[in-house]
This record gives sequence, structure tokens and C-alpha cells, in this order.
Amino acid sequence: MSTETHEIPGARFMDPKVLARIGNLELVSKAVVDGFINGLHKAPYFGASVDFAEHRGYVPGDDIRRMDWRVWARTDRYYIKEYEAESNMNFNVLLDVSKSMDYGGKGIKKIDYARIIAACLTSLVSHQRDRVGMAAFDSDIVEYVPPSAKHMETVLHVLDRLKPGRPGSLKEPLHKLAEHYGRRGILVLISDFYEDPETVVEAVKPLRFRGNDIMVFHILDQDEIEFGFSDASPFEDLETGEQVPVVPDSLRKEYRAMVQAHIEALTQSFSKVGVDYALFDTSQPLDFVLFKYLAARSRRLKRR
Amino acid sequence: MSFLAPLFFVALAGLAIPVLLHLTQKEKKEVVLFPSLMFVRKIPYQASRRRRIQHWFLLLLRLAALALIILAFARPLLDRADVPASLGQGAREVVVLIDTSYSMGYGPRWSAAVDAARNVVSGLGASDRASIVTFGSGTEILLRSTAEHSALNGAIAAAKPGASATRYSPALKVAGSILAESQLPRREVVLISDFQRSGWRGQEGTSLPAGATLSAVPIQGAANRPNLSVTAVSLQRSRFANQERVTVTAGITNRSETAVTNQPVTLEAGGLQVATKTFNVEGGASTSVSFDPVTIGGRNYKGTVRLGEDALVADNAFNFVVSPSEPVHVVLVDRGGGGSGLYVAQALAIGDSPKFDTVTRQPENLTDEDLRKTSLVVLNDVPVGSPLGRRLLKFVEGGGGLFVSAGSRASWPRDVDLLPATIGNPVDRSRGETARVGGIEFAHPVFEAFRAPRSGDFASVRVYGYRNLGPATGAQVLARFDAGAPAVVERRVGAGRVLLWASSFDQSWTDLPIRSVFLPFVHRAATHLVAYVPSQPWATVGQILDTSRAGAHKGQSVPTLVLTPSGTRLPVSGDGTEVIELAEQGFYELRGDSNSAGEMAVVASNVDPAEADLTAMDPQDIVAASTGESQSDGAQPAAAPQTPETRERSQRLWWYLLCLGAALLAAETVVSNRLKA
Repeated sequence: MSTETHEIPGARFMDPKVLARIGNLELVSKAVVDGFINGLHKAPYFGASVDFAEHRGYVPGDDIRRMDWRVWARTDRYYIKEYEAESNMNFNVLLDVSKSMDYGGKGIKKIDYARIIAACLTSLVSHQRDRVGMAAFDSDIVEYVPPSAKHMETVLHVLDRLKPGRPGSLKEPLHKLAEHYGRRGILVLISDFYEDPETVVEAVKPLRFRGNDIMVFHILDQDEIEFGFSDASPFEDLETGEQVPVVPDSLRKEYRAMVQAHIEALTQSFSKVGVDYALFDTSQPLDFVLFKYLAARSRRLKRR
Repeated sequence: MSFLAPLFFVALAGLAIPVLLHLTQKEKKEVVLFPSLMFVRKIPYQASRRRRIQHWFLLLLRLAALALIILAFARPLLDRADVPASLGQGAREVVVLIDTSYSMGYGPRWSAAVDAARNVVSGLGASDRASIVTFGSGTEILLRSTAEHSALNGAIAAAKPGASATRYSPALKVAGSILAESQLPRREVVLISDFQRSGWRGQEGTSLPAGATLSAVPIQGAANRPNLSVTAVSLQRSRFANQERVTVTAGITNRSETAVTNQPVTLEAGGLQVATKTFNVEGGASTSVSFDPVTIGGRNYKGTVRLGEDALVADNAFNFVVSPSEPVHVVLVDRGGGGSGLYVAQALAIGDSPKFDTVTRQPENLTDEDLRKTSLVVLNDVPVGSPLGRRLLKFVEGGGGLFVSAGSRASWPRDVDLLPATIGNPVDRSRGETARVGGIEFAHPVFEAFRAPRSGDFASVRVYGYRNLGPATGAQVLARFDAGAPAVVERRVGAGRVLLWASSFDQSWTDLPIRSVFLPFVHRAATHLVAYVPSQPWATVGQILDTSRAGAHKGQSVPTLVLTPSGTRLPVSGDGTEVIELAEQGFYELRGDSNSAGEMAVVASNVDPAEADLTAMDPQDIVAASTGESQSDGAQPAAAPQTPETRERSQRLWWYLLCLGAALLAAETVVSNRLKA
């Protein structure tokens, strides 16, 4: 647990391994989110639909139900009331379910960790009456749930039955998904990003064209970062099935350097294109992930 | 080079195991599933490093250590010719001990022993040296440390069984001393013997020098004839028609398992066969045969009991010498009339060994002739004047004995220094508690017989009066009264002895004469004073013959030569004292110069009957006691020193190989630890 997590007032962090054992995503997300909200005394109800924005002149074709009759009564002019459209924004989780996500070294599997994150964020956002949707992909789109205020349970259900099976790639499915998200919203992309940083950024860019806010959660297992193996063994790639004899002691140093370089490159690349990037290893508490999300969301609102 | 256990070389195949492991060991078969090998693939592949041998030195060290240990287990031995060159052990110093006790004459044993000794000689290398030592009860070095085979074989041929018994200990000591003087690096003793149990008395402090080996070559072999031996002879003297006769009874033992019947045994006396008898005896049993009495023909009358031929000849004859008994002449000087000398005279009249011929004289009637004839003078409470005292002094200085009783009348002239103590005032102990004799020197020959419990109690003797004695210089107090006053004092004067008793020999002052200790006391005092030595009818081979004692008869001249049974003449030094070890069976004759008639003394020499018992012992007992370790018993006498086992054991190459292997393993540990660090 990092020192950063301690700074969150009232935060109650849960061990992902414990949560993974619960099995019921709804329950899990409720446990995490409720605790989290209770911890924040001033729950920021982002996107509240009653927030008035401005008046504008009536033009033919406007819905007369949005006519401000009080202004007409005072001024004898037709004005239309404009409200904050984001108060009910779209929230979509893009979840990588390629085979490489089906790895769990000593603790929880990456896919399960990602699943719980997705469920928690969905649950949290749904509490805020935003529309929630999701998409799962490997080398193609596997599942797609369009964003809706009533889709929380569907999202949880789909998340629950997702199973990684095929090798993955980012570019093709993400380009396809970019076409689905015409309306601005928040896209949370969860993946292990086993591709070149340039390829990854190239794949993510189209999502941003429509003005979506994109948050990238990079999920890695402790083993993938530290490479803490000791015995020389043949290593098998989960996606390709290729086997390579490996003497961990001899290449650990180089491996760690390369992983760090990869993470560094992703961080910089995403930063350049204005994408929030966060790295999580599966041993980190989920509350911490939610905090990250809310912090990022807060920043985004401030920017507007 | 050859190997005793070459099968161990199969284990050399095991050396390939570490090499194969080094060369073929692959990564673990258990596959590790990993999300993506994207990064791993970019790193140059290094797993093949496993298949290369990284530490050749370490591998070679391990292989060499294992190979050496296997080699040690195969028990290598170098051929004889290789030994000095390759191992540097050098030449051998071999001591061949050949048993020449008379038991080696049993059956074919001696020829087998000679063959075994010759085999040892033929097995010697060019630089080896050997000594030939024969032993029985004594030890004789026939040839000392030579490399000449012809001389060694000549010495072996010259050896033959003697008449002595077996004693291993002196022989091993001689062998040890020869080896200790040797400069050669390898030292061996080859003991060729029939290993009779009677020759070894356990640990006798015989240990060979460090590093020396002892190979035992047991000589066995049974004869197909029985083995009888005359173990002892008893001589019973008797008198008949004023002549002394002796009845000879021979003890005969059948050492073999088979019974013998009607076996003749003859008695030879004075060089003539006088009687022959037959006897039957079971296997392993003994019997006795008594011959009719034989008249003793004169001094040094030789006799022999002889059996017929059998498997072991040496123990078939038993020799003895008898002479007519000669009384010891005693003069009892007594005042007479009172019967005070009665007790002493009666005590001396009893007994045959020796027989005392006692004459009684008044002090004034004691003549020089009496003193010349007699060996002992007993002064029974008489006053002695100076003339008599001087005569007695001369008598004692000439070898005579003087026994003095200091009663109430006794006196001694002051100017004659003969008595062991001055005779002082009488002490009256008739009133109150009587004096008792104590503080006895039991180590002295006179009182030695009373040392054991119930062997006579001097404490029961009551003494009512005695004379105060002042011991002279050089006198020994043998007994004291309870008050501490000397009771019996002895002194040597010249060649003779004087014994002084502080009380009387009759019942006037003491009840000693009626006590049971009186008779043995007087007898032992008399025999001690005259230095009486009972004549031994025979001696055993190996014993020492002291010519001065053997011919020590009063009035005889000293012997000048000794004639051995084999006819050898051994000269005796001028004063007649010579010490000769009895080495042969038969009669040793001591002869004087040409003026003296015939032999002065004859000593019968017999073999040790214990040697006739051929029961064998385990040679390993001797080997273990001498070298501290159990070695080959040389089951094959001829080949014993040459068997590969023997050679391998003496070379002990395995020991060096094992040490080297262990050292390599230790070095391997150090090196591998360093490399790991």
C-alpha cells in the first residue's frame, strides 16, 4: 500500500484478493463504492441535470417545452432555457479481454482485477445518474453494451461472464469502437498494453476525436514488473503459445529496464495526447483506483 | 601393477554421471505461462550457458578425487620389481625365525620348515637382506643380515631340531633388535614354527619396531605313528644288605589319540640295560611303570628310562643320576651328663635328606680331626676358652658351620671375634609373663618354612630365661624376644656361618625343645649352616649348569672341563666357575685335571616334557602381540610372503590413494566455495 493511499481521508481499502473471492460483481462494486462514498463527506454530484447554464433566443424548431415563460412575461420575448448537458454524461468502459489478461501470478488475475475496476466505476457512475456502457475486445469487439442510465446491471452481467480466450490487438477494435461513441463522454480503457507505445497511442487517438475524455488504466501483475522468477524454465507466451527457455537470473535486470522503459514511453505518449494514464499492479487496493478516477474526473471538470 | 579387487573399476563408469549432468542438464520441464514474451524475446537468449562447463578445474578435481577413491578400493599392488622404482619403499630386511625345538622333529615337520625357509630366501629381491635365526628356549643367530642366497640357504641347511623347548618371546626380541639396527625401509619377520601353545605365555612385552610386519608360517603335519613320552621318573631309595638301592618308577604319557599295547620300556643303569617291561596305555592317557630295585653302584650312577621308536624320538628317553646318600657330619659339643644335648641330638638323628651323623664331644675333647671331618659344630651351652675359640674360628673360616646355644653356662673369649653377638648377662623371665619369640625374619632361609600360616608358631614358645646379646658388626638379627632383645643372630665369617640362639637347647630355660617348631628349626639351621644343597637327579635342557656348585664337594678339586653328551669338551676357567646352558639331552660330565680319577660330577639332562604336548595355538595371538595388529597367518607356508594379499598389505597403496582422494575433495570444497562467493 503506497503512502499516497493513506492521504485519502476515511478511505477504506480492500484487498483485491478478498474482493475477488466474493464473486458477485454487484455486491463487490456496492461494497467498494459505498465505502468510498461514505468516506467522502462532500460527494461531488457531477453532472447534476438541474444545473441551469444560459438563456438563448427561440428559433423555430426548438422544443416549446423548454421555453422560459417567466422571461416572456417580463420581456415579451421568447427565450429557451439551456441546461448543462454533461450532467448526464456517457460513461464507457473499454475492457481488454485478450488472453494475456488471463494471468495471475501470486494473487488475483489481471482480468479479474480489471473486471472489478470496471464494475466499481460503473456502479459509482451509475450512482451519479450518468449513463453507463461498456465494450470488451481482444483482436475484435467481443461485447458491446451501449451507454444508458439503465444499463448498469447489464454491464455488470456482461462483465461477469467475460472470459479471455484470444490474442489481442488494440488498433482494430478501438478504431471500430470510436465510431460507436459519437456523443462526448468518459472512456475508461483498461488493458495490459502489450504493444509498442506508438501503436497503442495510435489505437487510442481515434477515441479522442469526438471529444471523449479518455482514461487509460494499465493493469500489470507484480511478476510482469519485477520478473521475480528464480528457476530456469521454458516460458510460454499466453497469447501465441510460443515457448522460450529463460534463465530469469540472467535477464531479470534487462527485463525490468525494458518494462520500465515501456511504462515510461506510454506515460509520455498519453500525456502528449492529453490522455490520463495510470499504472496499476494487481496487488493495489481497488479504492485507490476509484480515487484515481475521481481525481482525474475532477481535474477534467475544472478544465472545462 | 595389478589389483586385488579389479571389479571396483566398474564404478569408474559412474564418473561419467557428473559430466553428463553438466552437459545434458536442461531447464526444468515445468512450463511457466507468461502473459507476453514481448520483452523476453528482445533480450539475447542465454539459456545455453547451462550446457557449457563453466569450471573445468572444479570438474577435473571432482573426477580425479572419485577416480582415486575407486582406485584405492580396487586395492592396487605393485609387482616386486616395480616396488623400489615406482614407490620408493626400498629393500626389505627379513628375519627368518626357525623353530628348532625338539617338537619340530615330529613327523615331516622339520623338512616342511626347511622348505618354507628356503621359499622365503628365494622370494628375496636383489637388494633385500635376510637373517637366519633359530630358536628353542634360547636363540641363536646363524646368519646376520646378508643378501647372499647361498649363505642363507647354507645356514638353513645347517640348522636342525635340538632338544630344547619352544619360547617365542626371546626369538622375537632378537628379531626386533636385528630389525631395529637395520637401515632398510621395509622390515619383516617370518616366523616358521609349529606354534605350540606351551611356547607362548601371552603378552610378554615382545613388540617389533614400528612398521615391522610379522608373517607367521605354521608348520603342521601329523605322523602316522603314536607319540609316547617319558614325562618323569621317581626314585625311591632303600637299604638292603648294607647297600643302598633305588626303585625307579617311570611316568609315561601317550600324546597321540591311538592306544598302544605291549610297548617295551627299558631301564638302563650304569651303562647297562638292566630291565625291560611292557605296558599298555590308552590314547591321550598316562601310565606308570615300576622297575625292580637297582643297587646304586657308586657315585654319579647314571640311569636312563627308554622307550622304543615312535613319531617323536627326543622325548623317549629320560636320564637321571643317583649317588649313594652322604650324611652330614655334626659334632655336638656338650658338657654331658645332664642330658642337655639330648634334644638336639635326637632332632638331628631324624630324617634322610640330608642324614646327619652326629658325634658328641666334651669341649676339651674336641680334636682337630673331629673338626676336619665335620661340617657343623653345635655348641650346646658350654664355656669356650680362647684356644678352642681360635680353632673354631679357623674351622668356620674354612667353610664350617657353628650353631651356638647361649644357656646359663655359656661363655666366649673376648679375644676371638667369631660369634655374631656378645653374650651378656642372663635375663630371668620365670616370674611374671614369660618371654616370647617374635620379630622373625621370615625371608631368611632358616625361618622361610614358617612364613605361611599354620606352618609352625614361634609365638607359642615360652622362654623363661635368656642371655642378653649385643649383636656384632655385620651380624643379622633373625628373631627377637618380645622385649626387643635379640633371640637368634647370624653372622658370616670367612666361608662359613655362625648362628647364635640366646637361650638353651634343653628345657631349663625354654620349652622350645618340646614344641613342634623345634625339629624343623634345628634341621633348617643345620642345613643352612652347612650350605647343604640336595642333589638333583636330573636337569632340564635350557637350564644353567653352574660348575662351581655342581662340583662343590668338600675336599674335591675344581673341574677343568665339561664333557657334553655329544662328546664336545668345554674347558672350564681356572677357578672352576663356568656357566653352561644345558643344550643337549644326555649326561654332562664334569671332569677335573688328570690327577683326579674319573668324573667329579654328572648332570643328567632331559628334554622339557611340556614340549611333547603338540597342541597348537593361533599364530595370530603372537602376530597381534608383536605388531599390534592382526596379519596374515600364512595359511600357505611356502607362498605366504609372496601372495598378492601379503604384498598388497605391505605396500598399502590404497591408503595413500585414499588420502590423496580425500585431500582432493577437501580442495574441491575450498575451490567451489571460493567460486560461489
